[in-house]
Amino acid sequence: MTNRADTRPMVYIVVWLALLALLAVTVGSAYLSLGWANTPLNLAISVTQAALVMLFSMHLRSAHPLMKIIAVIGFFGIAILITLSLFDVLTR
Amino acid sequence: MANGDAALAPQFDDAEQQRTASNLGIWIFLATEILFFGVLFAAYAITRVRFPEAFAAGSRLTNLPLAGTNTAVLVTSSLTMALGVHAARHGARRALVGWLGLTVALGCAFLAIKAVEYRVDYLEHLVPSLDFRYAGPQADQVELFFYLYFFITGVHALHVLIGIGCLATIAVMASRNAFSAAYFTPVDVTGLYWHLVDVIWLFVFPILYLISRS
Repeated sequence: MTNRADTRPMVYIVVWLALLALLAVTVGSAYLSLGWANTPLNLAISVTQAALVMLFSMHLRSAHPLMKIIAVIGFFGIAILITLSLFDVLTR
Repeated sequence: MANGDAALAPQFDDAEQQRTASNLGIWIFLATEILFFGVLFAAYAITRVRFPEAFAAGSRLTNLPLAGTNTAVLVTSSLTMALGVHAARHGARRALVGWLGLTVALGCAFLAIKAVEYRVDYLEHLVPSLDFRYAGPQADQVELFFYLYFFITGVHALHVLIGIGCLATIAVMASRNAFSAAYFTPVDVTGLYWHLVDVIWLFVFPILYLISRS
């Protein structure tokens, strides 16, 4: 059944702890001089955090395929928008 | 299934179809929200690529302790929201009202901390148009960073405010016994919105506050 798969409360608590741990890592990494790698690391952590929230707290993992497609379309739209805009700026 | 189910609107065959339709609606809305913030992120990316030093300098002037605390507050409110939806799914009315109240309280805490942060920014003369003073190089580009900083965090705070309004409404409805294990779609849908506002902040936080701290 759509969106009815029950998630145990423990899962939400584990996700919450993981989000806080990743927050500590991303803040801590900002104080390290990693050169060009700082921003990709911060963004990779953000993507991981967002995936945890969307898959478990927002139940996308057990959702109807239609919901999954729509969520992906949103992020895909942003990716196209930013990538093509940067093509212009970076090749002037 | 549909017999005597007061919550079932006439255009649906059964509760399952109705729930799927509601979920589809909120996910389409959330996708437009992702695109709405996406435009702001694109503006940010383009400007940052052009003025990397100014953005690093601007980022160092933002208040990381307050923003970091706020991230933890919002992430925690996402947990209480998830537990609220869980309570709704099991028809636990008192637990649902409690979790919703806690989520509203955490949302208000987020806005309060944000207000303190804006006040500190104002006292440090970092508010473009109103009172912006910056002695270092590329002052105009640093000001541009702060335009984006206030616009992105401001629009996000507005979303939190709207979320608090929706959650408070849902909490009152829940306390009046409007939901049951068979029908809790408004709780589910409001929860999805609240989680998305959290997800957006998880991107806003590093791009504005963590550019270059070392």
